[in-house]
Amino acid sequence: MSLKSLVPSTQSAPKRKADVTMRLSEFEIPPMQDVLLVGKRAPIGPESIRRMVTALSPDQYEVIQLEHDIFEAVVLKKALLKLLPEEELLPMVQEEGARIATDKMVMKAQVNIVVEVNRVVDL
Amino acid sequence: MRVVDVMTRDPLTIDPSKSVERAAELMNLYKIGSLPVVEDGQLVGIITSRDVRLSHLNRLVADAMSKAVVVVSIDCSLWEAKELLEQYGIERLVVVKDQRVVGIVTKSQLYAQLGRHIDALTGLNRAEFLQRKAAELLQEDQEVAIVFVDLDNFGAIDKELGHVWGDRILQQVAQVLISVMEGGVDYLCRYAGDEFAVVTIRPLEDAKNLALRMVTALAEESWPHGVKITGSAGVAGGRRSRPRSEGNEVCTVSDLVNMASLASTKAKRETRPVVVAGLVDLQEVG
Repeated sequence: MSLKSLVPSTQSAPKRKADVTMRLSEFEIPPMQDVLLVGKRAPIGPESIRRMVTALSPDQYEVIQLEHDIFEAVVLKKALLKLLPEEELLPMVQEEGARIATDKMVMKAQVNIVVEVNRVVDL
Repeated sequence: MRVVDVMTRDPLTIDPSKSVERAAELMNLYKIGSLPVVEDGQLVGIITSRDVRLSHLNRLVADAMSKAVVVVSIDCSLWEAKELLEQYGIERLVVVKDQRVVGIVTKSQLYAQLGRHIDALTGLNRAEFLQRKAAELLQEDQEVAIVFVDLDNFGAIDKELGHVWGDRILQQVAQVLISVMEGGVDYLCRYAGDEFAVVTIRPLEDAKNLALRMVTALAEESWPHGVKITGSAGVAGGRRSRPRSEGNEVCTVSDLVNMASLASTKAKRETRPVVVAGLVDLQEVG
């Protein structure tokens, strides 16, 4: 007896369907936040990032080469440096980044700085 | 001999905006260990197989290359090129002309060629090196001095102990003399047989002191079979005073070497450790 003769004659051929789900959101320009820490063996290097931010957000970011065990460079939004001096911000970012990153990663960081001013004036 | 005589001409180059993966493909395809990185006709870096191994293949060549490239001109001598390779601990030099890449010269290419000018017994350079180095220094307007050291009675020692021990003593002599040399100042070679010579940028009086130290070091060394090895040294100094002309300078260097050689013969005859022939104006000597 052949196998073909065992298949019920009422079964139809399987139907193929696709279920499409879309999630739309605005593209972040540039696709990074306030700070990028570039690992020494990351898939992209500082020159790639410099070209990217120059093309997408000219004059808004600064690429700083580092002498660091894990990171090769840091890319900073220049506006941050108006709020906090580079010599204060950079060590902080490197120290926190080094706790969780490897030299194969590019880490992005959002940095919120709140400046509180309390002035007293003579009346 | 100049690098232009041994370099690989018109080497393959790569643009800094290409990927490291592309660089690796080219290196594999053409069986080469490095690619000069050129942008708008200008050399901006070099990427080596080591850089490729240490970088992610997705990276730009610009992010994996070495930006500090050691370059030489096509007129650079093989000895100068060798010194650069050793000074920077690198494997290859990019050869440029008018700031354009025209060639690449590797350590193996250089050493294969220089091997013909290196004394196999002592590992020191041969006499040709002395001539070339002195000419180079003179072209840089350096005052030079030649110290010529001739071993005393070495022929008799060689016959008494046999050539095997004679050769070992010559090797030891080379090491003793190397120990009193200062890198970047003194350039030692085995001139011939039992004759050694140094071209140095020391002033004449300082060169005389160097000669004394060489002779003293030989006398104080402990030698096989208790033999006594001594040397007699001659010193001659010269400075360039005529317009640059390479051919003439090599010629006058020969005269300078000859003066130092004759001074060493005089030292031996008069049983003095060092005889100074004096400082000469190469225009008069040439």
